[in-house]
Amino acid sequence: MRAMSDELMIAVRDLHHAYTHGGVTEPVLHGLDLHVRRGEFVVIMGPSGCGKTTLLNILGLMLAPSRAASVRIAGRETLGCSDAERTRLRRAALGFVFQRFNLLPTISVAQNVALPLRLRGAPVNGVVPALLKRVGLAEHAAKKPRQLSVGQQQRAALARAVVTRPALLLADEPTGNLDSANAAAVLSLLADLHAEGQTIVMITHNEQLAVRADRVLHMRDGRFVDGTPGHTRV
Amino acid sequence: MTAPAAPAYHAAMLALAWANLMHHKLRAALSALAVGTGLMLMLVSRGLATGSIREVNQRMQSVAAELVVLPAQDNIIFTSGAPFRGLHEQHLRGTADAEGPLAAAVIPIFFGQVRLGGQQQRLFGIDPAQLDLFLGGRRVIAGRLFDRAVGFAARVDAGEPRPPESDPAAYDAFLADGLELVIDERLQRVGGYRVGDTVQLLGRVFRIVGVVETGVAGRVLAPLQTLRELTVAGERHASMYFLKLRPGLDPVGAAEAFQRRMGETARVELKSEYGRLLRESFASVDLYMTASSGVALATCFLFILLTMHTMVIERTREIGILKALGVTRLGLVRLSLCEALLISLAGVAIGITLAVAVRGLLGAVVPLLTVELTGGQLLAALTLGVLGGTLSALYPGWRAARLDPAAALLYE
Repeated sequence: MRAMSDELMIAVRDLHHAYTHGGVTEPVLHGLDLHVRRGEFVVIMGPSGCGKTTLLNILGLMLAPSRAASVRIAGRETLGCSDAERTRLRRAALGFVFQRFNLLPTISVAQNVALPLRLRGAPVNGVVPALLKRVGLAEHAAKKPRQLSVGQQQRAALARAVVTRPALLLADEPTGNLDSANAAAVLSLLADLHAEGQTIVMITHNEQLAVRADRVLHMRDGRFVDGTPGHTRV
Repeated sequence: MTAPAAPAYHAAMLALAWANLMHHKLRAALSALAVGTGLMLMLVSRGLATGSIREVNQRMQSVAAELVVLPAQDNIIFTSGAPFRGLHEQHLRGTADAEGPLAAAVIPIFFGQVRLGGQQQRLFGIDPAQLDLFLGGRRVIAGRLFDRAVGFAARVDAGEPRPPESDPAAYDAFLADGLELVIDERLQRVGGYRVGDTVQLLGRVFRIVGVVETGVAGRVLAPLQTLRELTVAGERHASMYFLKLRPGLDPVGAAEAFQRRMGETARVELKSEYGRLLRESFASVDLYMTASSGVALATCFLFILLTMHTMVIERTREIGILKALGVTRLGLVRLSLCEALLISLAGVAIGITLAVAVRGLLGAVVPLLTVELTGGQLLAALTLGVLGGTLSALYPGWRAARLDPAAALLYE
């Protein structure tokens, strides 16, 4: 486990969120506070419907909270940011790994991995092949995602998420669709990234994955149940 | 946080657009084909109109005259009959200034119809004595001109009495020298005619006596007096006149003088304005053709819109992925625009190729039709393609841009 910086990568205070469907408002998050330091690996666990994914979407700037005192991501206050500003911050500072891999089916594995770099206008040469080699997909670079196994697809998705060395990696059930061997491989990659200083926030149901984390937070009914999140340790 | 380097970003989006289209090859190809078909319709109909008008105008300009006299209210393309009488010709001949008659030559033309070369042709009745003016220097390349008809015309103009109706044989003999046709080289080539061939016309058998170079105002020429004899009992009627002015006269001033003399029965125009008159006469048909091809084209672009819209719905989750990766709303609109423009540009290429092919096909099947494909028309097709593609992509792009990324990622 790597030493963490005191710099906060995530600083959320009094976060509330509610969904409104057909005029009915359903509160999901109730005044959450969350601090994650640079280089920290935080796992969030909890039953379905407790608000984990909503929280991750807010941290990933894909969902604007209904109300909050502060949502600072990668050193930037995001409350009041426009859609374009949040999109640019996502592109610059965040990486995502999804349960369903979410690779673009129309382009090759290498093109998928290179896409975040291209969107930033950063050079691709050398970076993508090296990363594909690291995740064991060097020989599959030219294939379309559908030609890969699910484990390979998730490794490709992980490569895409970290190719820009994002300040914060958000992972939503990254092993949820994988068998145990592939899940172990993905977790091993995540652990390696963490060892290199990558800040990671991961949602999972898998208790075994949680043992690799610096901290595990449990959620229930839109609240952390471990006490003050910033101080809870495994 | 800096904006991405534009070339790499745009190259990535273009590559993504291309990949998306290649992922739905058949749909993209059908969309491009639809645009291409619409553009082909537009190009061919416009090309047919402008080509025919230009060709007729160029032929009319070959006549050695400066003015044309046309029926006042008539459409010069779809005109029929011979509304001018001998009195009108007298007015034209009699219009004068202090130095004498303004017209060095009044050239009456009598229109008829004949089917030659596989299609209806306008038959130009021309006085054999004025054929040189009408030909405007074009050469005879086979046979001869109206040599025998000259005598017939002279007899008619001299007022020689016609044989009585009770004696058909005598009337046939009277007409015989006048039953001559001269055709142009293009019609001769297309129809495979030779000097000496006969053609049934107005109940009589005419003989092709000569072939002149292409470019003469009329493709089929017959003696004016013969047509008058067969259709208006020899009255000095005419469908229009060409006027060759006395040397040194200002054509505009002369036209005004002739117009005053003719009053409201005719309009006197500069021959150089004949192209404009043709376009004006064709305007209503042109509007119809333009509207028809415009509707066809708009339908084709609706096809693109539908395609793009369907693609947005089908790719909702992919759009969510792109948003998660940091593609802006504007970027998604651009992606949609890129895809639609690629389809449209392919459609333009298909449309131009089809138009060239149809022109070739028409040239083989109906060789006397002229389909003109100018650089300007091709540029207009390209512009329309780009404009239509852009408009077709805006709504789907807007829909894609407005998708909520978190919800889009959950789309099944």
